[in-house]
Amino acid sequence: MDTRTPHPRLPEIVLLLALPLLVALSGCAKEDEDPPGTADPVQPATITLRLEHHADGVPLLFDTVLYATAAGHTYSVSRLEYYITAIELLTADSTDVEPVVAGPFLVNARNTTTFDLGPLPPGNYTGVRLRLGLTPDLNLTGALPNTLENVNMAWPDGMGGGYHFMKFEGHFLNGGVPTGYAIHLGRNENLPTCHAQGGLLLDGSARTLVARFNMNEVFRTPHTYDLSTGSYSMGSMMLMGLLRDNCADVFTVAIEP
Amino acid sequence: MRALATIGGVAAVVLLGATGCRRDASEDPVSDAPTTTPYALEHPSYFPVPVIPASAPLTVEGIALGRRLYYDTYLSRNGPFEGLACASCHDQSRSFTVPTSGTNVLAHVNLAWSSNFLWNGKVTGTLEDVMRFEVEEFFQVDVAELNAHAEYPLLFQKVFGAGDITGDRVVGALAQWFRRLTSTNSRLDKHLRGEIILTPSEMNGAMLFLSEKGDCFHCHPTPLMTDNGFHNNGLSSTFAGLDVGRYAITGAPMDLGAFKSPTLRNIALTAPYMHDGRFQTLEDVVEFYNSGVQHSASLDPLMTKPGPSLTLGLTPQEKADLVSFLHALTDDTFITDPALGSPF
Repeated sequence: MDTRTPHPRLPEIVLLLALPLLVALSGCAKEDEDPPGTADPVQPATITLRLEHHADGVPLLFDTVLYATAAGHTYSVSRLEYYITAIELLTADSTDVEPVVAGPFLVNARNTTTFDLGPLPPGNYTGVRLRLGLTPDLNLTGALPNTLENVNMAWPDGMGGGYHFMKFEGHFLNGGVPTGYAIHLGRNENLPTCHAQGGLLLDGSARTLVARFNMNEVFRTPHTYDLSTGSYSMGSMMLMGLLRDNCADVFTVAIEP
Repeated sequence: MRALATIGGVAAVVLLGATGCRRDASEDPVSDAPTTTPYALEHPSYFPVPVIPASAPLTVEGIALGRRLYYDTYLSRNGPFEGLACASCHDQSRSFTVPTSGTNVLAHVNLAWSSNFLWNGKVTGTLEDVMRFEVEEFFQVDVAELNAHAEYPLLFQKVFGAGDITGDRVVGALAQWFRRLTSTNSRLDKHLRGEIILTPSEMNGAMLFLSEKGDCFHCHPTPLMTDNGFHNNGLSSTFAGLDVGRYAITGAPMDLGAFKSPTLRNIALTAPYMHDGRFQTLEDVVEFYNSGVQHSASLDPLMTKPGPSLTLGLTPQEKADLVSFLHALTDDTFITDPALGSPF
C-alpha cells in the first residue's frame, strides 16, 4: 500500500475523531446561553478549611518563648502537627449535626493549614464538632496511606498501634532553665472531641471556614497542666487523659467571605 | 467547514506524529530522540511512595548512565576532587559510605524518600536539587570534558535525546541512579514480610527501640528508619565550627547542634557514627543515648524524658538487645547486588 495515498475513508475517520469535540463545544456554548432563572437550584459551594494557631490571641511564632501556660510556665513551640477527623456542623439546638466530613486532615502548623472540605449544605450553624486525632476506624496501624507524613505520625504497635493524634513540642522555662516538652497524644481512649463555638452562616457560596487553635487551652481547663511534671506524655495514659479533656475547647470557628 | 478542516489537520498531525515515534524507536538505534525503557522502582508495600518528579521518570538507560558516572573518576576531571569518583567515598560494601575522620560521610541509601540532604540540610528538595549541588559546587563537573569523551555523548543522547551534555543532564542521570539505591531486604524487612522471625534479642531490641524507654522511633521511624528531620540529640552543650549543624544554614538559635537524622538502615556497616564520627561502635552509640546526652537550650524536645533526667536507665542486656536489633537492619542483598556495583 502506498502510504502517500490518502485513506479512502479519511473524511469519515476525521469526522469520527472530531464529533465528540464538536458535541463538547456545543454543550459548552449551550450552558453559556442559558437565560437567568432557568438554572438548577443553587448547589452548595466548596468550603475551604483554614487552621490558625495562637495563644490567647497572640499568633503562633515558632521557636520563640512567648507564651505562658496556666501553671505559669513560659513556653515556645517547635512542632505542632495533628489530625482532624469527623467534622460536623452544629445546628442551633445542637442536637442535629449535619453533615460529616470524615477527613482525615493532617495539619502541620508550619506549612499545611488549608484544606478543601468539599460542598457543605447552606444553613445557619452555631459551631462545629470535630475530633482532634483519628477516629477509631482510622486509628489502626497501616490504615492511612503510606505517605512520608503519615509514616512519621505512626504510633508503635507495642504501645497500642495506630497514629499520633497530635505532636506538640517545644521548650519551656523550668526554674529558668530551657527544658524540652513533647506533648504527644494517641490511642482511642484519649481521642478528644472538640466543640468549636462560632456562628456560621453558609449561604451556598464559596466560603472559608476558619478554625482557630488556642494552644493555651491545651494547658488549661478543666485541668491545669503542669509541664514540669508532664513534659513527656506519650507513655502516660494519665497525662494523655488530661490532655484529652483539655483539648475539648481548643478550637473556635468563624466564617470568612 | 473550516473548523472541520482544522480538526482534520490536527488529527493528521497527531497520526503522523505517532507514526513518527514508532518509526524512530524501532528503526533507528541512535536517533535524535531518547530511546529509553521505563524502569519501575520496586519497594515493599509498607514503604511510602518515593519522591520521583513527573518530569524525571526512571529509565533503564538513565539509571545505567548515572551508575557509570557514579563510578567514573572522569566525572571529577579539572575539578577540586580530580581523580576521585562518587564511589571513592561511597563503597557499596559499606552501604555506600566509607570511614572518615572529620565530617562523617553519609550513606547513599533510600534517598528516593528524602527531601533533606547533607548533615545540616544545606540542600532541600529533590534528588535533582542535591545532585545539582554535587555537580556544580562539589565536583564542579567539566561538561566540556564529558562532551569530548569517546562514549558519553552517545550514552547521554540515548537517555536525553539530541543535544550536548549539560550540567542538567548529568544531574538527571545521577538522580536516577540515586533513586535506584534502595535497601529493603534486611532481617527486619524479612520479618515484616513473614519470611523469618527475629531472634529473641533482636525482638527485645525492637520493642525497646519502639518504646518510650528506648525512644528511638521518633527520629528513626520504620520503615525508612529516619524522619528526614533535624535534631540536636545532645552530643554537646556548646557549639562551634561544624558542630553548629543546621544553625549554619538557618541562623536560628534553636537549630544549634541540629543535624539530619541519618537512616539506621545498614547502620552496622557505616561506622564511625554521628556527624563527626566520634563513636566507633554501635555499643558506644547506645551508651551515649543511655547516659551521655548533654543539656543545652536547643536540645531537641524528643530527647527530653519524663522527669529531670536525660538518661534512659537501660540494663546491660537491654543495651545488647538494642545493638542486636540495629544489626538486623543490615541488608546483605544491597551491599552485594552486582547491579549496584561498579560497571567498570
